[in-house]
Amino acid sequence: MNIQTVINGKKISVNVKNDMRLLDFLRDELELTGTKEGCSEGECGACTVLIDGSPVNSCLVMAFQIDGKEVVTIEALDEDGNLNIIKDTFLEEGAPQCGFCMPGMVLSAKGLLDQNSNPTRSDVKEAISGNLCRCTGYTTIEDAILKSAKKLGGKNG
Amino acid sequence: MDKLNIVGKSSFRVDGIDKISGRSIYPQDIKLKEMFHAVTLRSTVPHATFTLNTEKASKMSGVVKIFTAHDVTGKNEHGVLFKDHQVFMDRKINRIGDPLALVVAETLKEAKVAMKEIEVLYNELPGVFCPLEAMNEDAPKIHGDSNIIANMKLEKGTVDFSKCDVVVENTFKVPMVEHAFLQPESAVSYIEDDKLVVISSTQYPHWDRFELSLALGLKEENIKVLNAAVGGAFGGREDITSQIHVALATKTLKKPVKITYGREESFLAHSKRHPMTIRMKIGALKDGKITAMKNEILADSGAYASWAPSVLRKAMTHSTGPYEIENVKVNAKSVYTNNPFTGAMRGFGATQVAVGYEQIIDQLAEELGISTYEIREKNILRIGSKTGTSQTMYNSVPVDRCLEAVKKEMEIIKKKPVNKDMLTGYGIALSIYGTGYGNGFPDVSSNIAKINSDGKIEIFSGFTEVGQGAKTVMAQIASEVFNTSSSNIIINCEDTDKVPDSGTAAASRQTYNTGNAVKKSCEKLKDIILNLAQKELGLNNNIGLEVKDELVYLRTLPSMEITFKDLFSKYKDELSSKGKFVAQTTQMDDLSQGAPYWPYGFNALGVKVEIDPATGRINVVDGVFAQDVGRAINPRLVEGQMDGGFVMGLGYALYEDINLVDGEIKNRKFSSYIIPTAKDMPTLKKIIIEDPEETGPFGAKGIGESVTIPAAPAILNAIYDASKVRFTKLPVTPIEFMKKFGNKYD
Ligand code: FES
Ligand code: FES
Repeated sequence: MNIQTVINGKKISVNVKNDMRLLDFLRDELELTGTKEGCSEGECGACTVLIDGSPVNSCLVMAFQIDGKEVVTIEALDEDGNLNIIKDTFLEEGAPQCGFCMPGMVLSAKGLLDQNSNPTRSDVKEAISGNLCRCTGYTTIEDAILKSAKKLGGKNG
Repeated sequence: MDKLNIVGKSSFRVDGIDKISGRSIYPQDIKLKEMFHAVTLRSTVPHATFTLNTEKASKMSGVVKIFTAHDVTGKNEHGVLFKDHQVFMDRKINRIGDPLALVVAETLKEAKVAMKEIEVLYNELPGVFCPLEAMNEDAPKIHGDSNIIANMKLEKGTVDFSKCDVVVENTFKVPMVEHAFLQPESAVSYIEDDKLVVISSTQYPHWDRFELSLALGLKEENIKVLNAAVGGAFGGREDITSQIHVALATKTLKKPVKITYGREESFLAHSKRHPMTIRMKIGALKDGKITAMKNEILADSGAYASWAPSVLRKAMTHSTGPYEIENVKVNAKSVYTNNPFTGAMRGFGATQVAVGYEQIIDQLAEELGISTYEIREKNILRIGSKTGTSQTMYNSVPVDRCLEAVKKEMEIIKKKPVNKDMLTGYGIALSIYGTGYGNGFPDVSSNIAKINSDGKIEIFSGFTEVGQGAKTVMAQIASEVFNTSSSNIIINCEDTDKVPDSGTAAASRQTYNTGNAVKKSCEKLKDIILNLAQKELGLNNNIGLEVKDELVYLRTLPSMEITFKDLFSKYKDELSSKGKFVAQTTQMDDLSQGAPYWPYGFNALGVKVEIDPATGRINVVDGVFAQDVGRAINPRLVEGQMDGGFVMGLGYALYEDINLVDGEIKNRKFSSYIIPTAKDMPTLKKIIIEDPEETGPFGAKGIGESVTIPAAPAILNAIYDASKVRFTKLPVTPIEFMKKFGNKYD
């Protein structure tokens, strides 16, 4: 079917097959391979993207379901600069190890910080509890999100 | 040691921003023109002979070819120690998940549809799933005429418990667990000029090339292995999985081919951590001095040997912990069964035995009426101590400092308020880990350092960045030698055509072994540069010449200078240097006496747990972790390893267990195989203990495995402290806890 959607700020109109997952649409059709596939069942969060601002597992969404919606992936051009601040803070805090969970983590972080500019550590844990990471023990990721909140607060406030 | 400028600083990861931005390329991200897709048909029974009928499937739409054992162009075998794996089975199926065929089709969907149409007729054989039963004379045999892969003994002094004042014994059972790296296996192959190129995520590209050459019947020089980004490994990417399959298809079809496993197939395809039954008996004198220990270890290697003898050797030699014990006897066996095969996983046998020795020493302390600290202080290894293999600890043995640091912090933790509705307990554990392949094996790392046409320093070494930060660490070591920023160092490690073999990213050996090779080659290159600069500047000698930021200058007259770039324009071919490092270990004798590993790393961990007495849910709520690193090349990377190692150990203690029914893994998803989430991770105070190792690069030791070892026993000791129930079987799930805790008052 034909869908109208906005991907990373760009309006597109495309035909998608009924049985195509959003994850495959992004990775195979649009070649946006920053979105990762770790389990295909909504259990790992590696495929997290933002749909209308909310973090969603793109392996559980069909491509046609984004009709009329706005999708943000890790490749998004950073219009408000917030995504870059989060990425830089992840680097400063030494968050990534193998990196496979990272794009999903960053988008879960953005989803949280867009809603809650002053999260507690337990808010952060809640927000990334659907994103598995086997390498880091999560601490540096949490630190990076808390520090991003401070930086963004400073910037926006 | 001289003042260090780069080593010891937390430089940012060289691969960090690409990983964060989703720009790092894992094999599944690669799409080539006219690329075929392939899926692997795997056995669904654990022990059988079989016949395949691929006729119908091969006629299905899109199918290009179905590969089976007949199509293997070289030897139909592979394996890290013994060649007991087959590329495709032709004799006998030994486990659920054995590869039977590969369906190559134009699209992934077509390959999957066709695979369902392959008919497999099994002639099932009786299986054996219990390692104890597998040793029986009349047990079904997996390979050859005995299921015993290795039977080792260690003897030091004479064990006589009648001379001890207190003796304690117990049996510990640790489960089979899964690496659960987040990136499932994937590989892509294609032909480039006259070479077969295989891109995968591996821990050891040069080894893969060797195994590919045997199985394909190609010379190694006709194969190029490219290591893409590796999405975690932890030992699970040491045995070959999809690489030979994909390469065979490309070799035959002359087209690019790609294989990507889903999560369930990943569970089936790679090795697991050895489950072990560990019987321990330990005796001490009244004053707390341990004088005798006797251990028996039985490990289940599953259907294939993988690293079984090496894992077993590490378990056996580490089963006395970081303690000096005069009389020791250990017997250790590893056997084949029809279970999933087990192999390398973070800690490599040393993780399993710590669950035993760190609990039994607490039991001993209780019997003796002394504290858990005191018993450890009385028995830990110190400078001059001898291990269970009678190896002398001659430098960098800061077990005492690790323990002291944890003791101090635990006093603070114990003063914090407790939740009255919960059972609260505190526990500690120490651990020891010996680096490297060990036992006299020539554990070589090589590196070439060069100056390129831009005057930049390039490193060429076949080590692997699996997430641990090896690229960043090697860049820091090189930049320290050349007095420049680590971002100015160009690291090449991915391409077997360009880089020399540097061994596997395993056994915590990269920082120590490859770090030494990088340092040596850089120091030699620096000497070459100074001598050439002397010549160019017309000086009498090279005294007082210094390098900084790709420039050589005379310290007494800094305007006398020449850039690396200028030197390159004249001395291109001379600006290259090789460095090689071989770790010093010896082969042990028949009683396992010798110096099997070097260096050893140590740590101490203290935790506070809270247990909900109504549900049995256990939370680790606080902790302190002191880690010996020799010297921290990059403290932030060290802390990252400590956090990650800890949480993997936490999963081992509380959640993780491959649920096997007649050799079948029942929990092949993250909804049923539970790994820790952010909510499980407590605030963990990390203390880096530096005590430079004389033979390490700038004093550094490897820590990648060491960091995971003390978590499970410390948590179990804390559970005991909270509940007065000793858990000897992992994991302690809420159900297991309630079973034993509820019965306590019966
Ligand atoms: S791939 Fe979508 S949640 Fe794991
Ligand atoms: S960094 Fe490896 S899974 Fe998170």
